[in-house]
Amino acid sequence: MNKTYQKKHQLWLEILFASFAIEDEAIKSRLYDFSQIAFRHMKWLGEEILAQGEDYNYDRNQMMLYKRESVFSILKDLKKFVEEVQEFYPKNRLGERMHTDDVYLLEYLQELLVQPTNDGEITAFNMKREWDDLPQDQIDALTLFLFDESYKEYELILVYAYMQARTDNILHYNVFQDLVDESYFHLKSFGNMMARLGILALPRELHEMTYIVKDLDQFIKDGIAEEEAAKEMCKELSDAITDEKLSKFFDFINYQESYHIELMQKLL
Amino acid sequence: MYENVKMPEGMNPEVLEHLMNPKNYGKLDDANGIGVALDEKTKEYVIFYILLNGDVLDNVSFATNGCQDTVVIGSMFSEMIKTNDIEYAKKAIEKMHAKLGEMTPQQKICAELVFTAFIAALKNHDNRAEGKDEELHLLKMKESCEATNMETSNE
Repeated sequence: MNKTYQKKHQLWLEILFASFAIEDEAIKSRLYDFSQIAFRHMKWLGEEILAQGEDYNYDRNQMMLYKRESVFSILKDLKKFVEEVQEFYPKNRLGERMHTDDVYLLEYLQELLVQPTNDGEITAFNMKREWDDLPQDQIDALTLFLFDESYKEYELILVYAYMQARTDNILHYNVFQDLVDESYFHLKSFGNMMARLGILALPRELHEMTYIVKDLDQFIKDGIAEEEAAKEMCKELSDAITDEKLSKFFDFINYQESYHIELMQKLL
Repeated sequence: MYENVKMPEGMNPEVLEHLMNPKNYGKLDDANGIGVALDEKTKEYVIFYILLNGDVLDNVSFATNGCQDTVVIGSMFSEMIKTNDIEYAKKAIEKMHAKLGEMTPQQKICAELVFTAFIAALKNHDNRAEGKDEELHLLKMKESCEATNMETSNE
């Protein structure tokens, strides 16, 4: 079952990052919705694995995000991967649910692929790093921020999901869900910004030393310190960046981090 | 011989490529040496895997929860030493140390985290060879990313 979980994890990322890479807002939005469905599949699959007394991990089997140059090449690869994953699903109610959801996704992908006007250039990987009139030093700072924080949000999503799957405490369960949802939104924001800059990349694979937490209290205290550091980074970027819209966005993220700290304190 | 010994300089296309697609990243299932360098204050770590065949590093890989400087340095360093011998790797570290002066204090700590994890992996390999039952060798960093007055000593 761990193999199934790994495939589902990869499929979730494939759908999510396809949504980041594609500029067409309608396709982006639909794929993002499908990514959330795939993430819920992952959650339910994880619960089922644990209920059977087994375990799963976050290994990704050397997954790469290929630098594709057209919408259709992304959609075709995604379609192929969705088809491949089907054989790994368990033969039970959850397996059927995942399969029927994926069939609907495949139908949607096929609809897109038969309409040539849906094809177009992909600039998400061209490494051009241009953002309106933003000067180069600010683009450099933004670049580093996005690489650091997109990894961090991915890490938080998976770490909180891992702990959520293993708690019997309802308060903790709900707080973990809120934190996962918040980080998911941040990852979406940062992923789309990376695509706009032409530097879209998968977050690095998580090592088990990162997500197997032995001391929850210490983990939360460290996490609060990290949130404080992230707030500071957002504030520095907001102060340094001359683009008004971007600056306001970082203020907004900064204020959200404050509430993350409130949520995390409920876990102590 | 050491023409490939370099450190990340600014946000050039090579550094960007290491950021987007770090080389030799992840677990190495058939490793015969595993080392961890841990910054206890920040909880940042680098885990380094080596597959040593005689004196030659047939394969290497690393993973980290650290910042992008750590990733870029780990990616560059692992690429540099892969398929070379231990002597080459140790001299590469010396050469890289010589260039640390050009880096920010935080980058120096990130570089040390990578090198220390590699040294720990060599130690783990030696310990295993001596018959010790050691899954991995852990070295704690004396200096932290959080510290303001940083030196480069670690073991």
